[in-house]
Amino acid sequence: MSDLLPLLVASPILAAVAVLALGYKFERVGWPIAALASLVQVGLAGTVAARVYGSGRTVTYELGGFRPPFGIELVVDGLSAAVAALVAVVALGVLAYARRAGPRSIAFYTQYLLLVAGLSGMSITGDMFNLYVFLEITGLAAYALVASGDSGRAAVGALKYLIIGTVGASLFLLGIGYAFVATGTLNMADLSVRLAEVGYDATLVRASFALVVAGLAVKTALFPLHTWQPEAYASAPDSVSAFISALVSTVSAYAIARVIFSVFTVDFFAAVPAARTAVLTLAGVSIIAGSALAVMQTEVKRMLAYSSVSQFGLVVAGFALANQAGVVGGTVHLVGHGLMKGGLFLAAGALAAVAGARTVDEYDGLAARAPVLSGAFAVLALAMVGVPPAVGFVGKWYIALGAFEARAWPIAVVILASTLLTLAYFARLVERMYFRRPAAGTAPAGAAVADGGSDRPAGLSVGMVAVVVVVAILAVALGSLVAEFEQLMQPTLDTLLQL
Amino acid sequence: MSADGTGPERGPEGNTAREWERGPYVESTIIMTTVRVVSPFILTLGLFVMFHGADSAGGGFQGGAIAATVLLMLAFAFGIEPVRDWIDPGTVLILMAAGVANFVLIGLGAIALGGEFLQYDVYPIYHGTKYSIELIELGIGAVVAGVITGLFFLIAGGFEAAEPIEDTVEDES
Repeated sequence: MSDLLPLLVASPILAAVAVLALGYKFERVGWPIAALASLVQVGLAGTVAARVYGSGRTVTYELGGFRPPFGIELVVDGLSAAVAALVAVVALGVLAYARRAGPRSIAFYTQYLLLVAGLSGMSITGDMFNLYVFLEITGLAAYALVASGDSGRAAVGALKYLIIGTVGASLFLLGIGYAFVATGTLNMADLSVRLAEVGYDATLVRASFALVVAGLAVKTALFPLHTWQPEAYASAPDSVSAFISALVSTVSAYAIARVIFSVFTVDFFAAVPAARTAVLTLAGVSIIAGSALAVMQTEVKRMLAYSSVSQFGLVVAGFALANQAGVVGGTVHLVGHGLMKGGLFLAAGALAAVAGARTVDEYDGLAARAPVLSGAFAVLALAMVGVPPAVGFVGKWYIALGAFEARAWPIAVVILASTLLTLAYFARLVERMYFRRPAAGTAPAGAAVADGGSDRPAGLSVGMVAVVVVVAILAVALGSLVAEFEQLMQPTLDTLLQL
Repeated sequence: MSADGTGPERGPEGNTAREWERGPYVESTIIMTTVRVVSPFILTLGLFVMFHGADSAGGGFQGGAIAATVLLMLAFAFGIEPVRDWIDPGTVLILMAAGVANFVLIGLGAIALGGEFLQYDVYPIYHGTKYSIELIELGIGAVVAGVITGLFFLIAGGFEAAEPIEDTVEDES
């Protein structure tokens, strides 16, 4: 028994209320409370993760003393512990960055803490309807955060995100409804047993799988369902883009994995091969289309956004392969991508603050003007491409290995091609930063305003640079720890894959 | 007032000039009196629904929405601006914050008493489960009422007087 699990959700909510109530009287109280709550969150998530990995067993918690499957259950295994820890760490990093970069309103800190609560809840819940509730909390907080940019563009981006995100959440809810009609239960562990009893060839069960995965794919922003994502990321303030890009889609992709392995289980894939093929196809198309669209972008933040579409294709492909290497790769790339993409958005924001560069053309010769940030950006970009020994390489390696083992040749080809495509859009930026001179007559300061970017006080804080550099170091260093991580994940993998 | 709106003078929005000057509020003795009489009953109904969340149909969401309609009715009867000035935004905020905090603290209190999060029966009071749930329903009611009231006045606030809509901030340089 661990009382820490409900605290993972309750403590950020309580902090959000504290910020809201105290912030009305004292304007400057937001950051300290949010920072304290984030530190507590890191401590809680770290303790839970240490316990899960240390004992090799799943930690569960029954809310309100109602016995599952009737009560709501919180479950943390090796997969959710990694995601919950990622949420806490990235949130702390973003907060350190946001201290100078803003937005600094009370509303921002409140929404930030609510988003942390929603994301943590999604990662640790063991109940389908509870997952939906946290999905909605996450979604609403994310819409509001995107809208906190002061340009009209952010408002439009947030509205688009709101409408499409709500459709996605509704599909997910509909899918849960179908599963509930078929089985009469909402607890994930119980569902996995009851769904098998109902039979995987039942229309209700298949429809439920399709709706749940489609709904979560909207939230993850896989290719044909990604349309909300580039504008939301590009129009939001930089801290928010980094926060959302690193976590919101990540946790949704985690939810896809959770639904595949803990609710429908690998037996469902075995019984209904079409379902697996459909998810793999969706992922494959997403990888190619996301990369192709990323190459065509002129705005750096939009390019990074489309890059996410492609990378989440990889993650979901890894999970859908449903073998050991695939799931390890999917998990590693899920966490690794969260770190790298968050870092890239923060670096892009910092570069915009120091040099006003927001489009690809404006990155000409940036390395001379901001050597540290440019270096960190380049390291993160190369890590994302998959240059060894970075974590991006290890994740893709495992996913490719999984594709070979599963003899899924088309997806293997797509994964290898995706590395080249990723190189195509990142190499372009790195080349401009290091090997070109800035074009004469560019007015970088004016350019930042012209594209409707968030205006904020010019200048960098040490914290902003430090966060970016630390993430770049992590992206390289974590690559060597993956073998140990696989060991720690082994008990969870055995359960998920029913080995 | 010409019902079909074909009067000669027209304001910027297409309505007649008189309507434009006067705004949407019409003072009416009938509406004001009715609202005065009905309000306490509606507030009571809202509380009734909230209090019955634990053991019958009802609950914080419905009750909170009903309670919030009281303020909406006051706004229709006496004009949005006066009612908004009369309400202290701090109170609305406290209503929302207290509702959420109430929920979390009841949950945490159960842990402090040695139970699980939100395990009501560890509270050492008569019918602990029922009264704890009812307290939570009241909290939810406070949140819902606060949010509805806040949203209403926030949205209604956009259409006061002839102030320009703030959408032209972008061309500062």
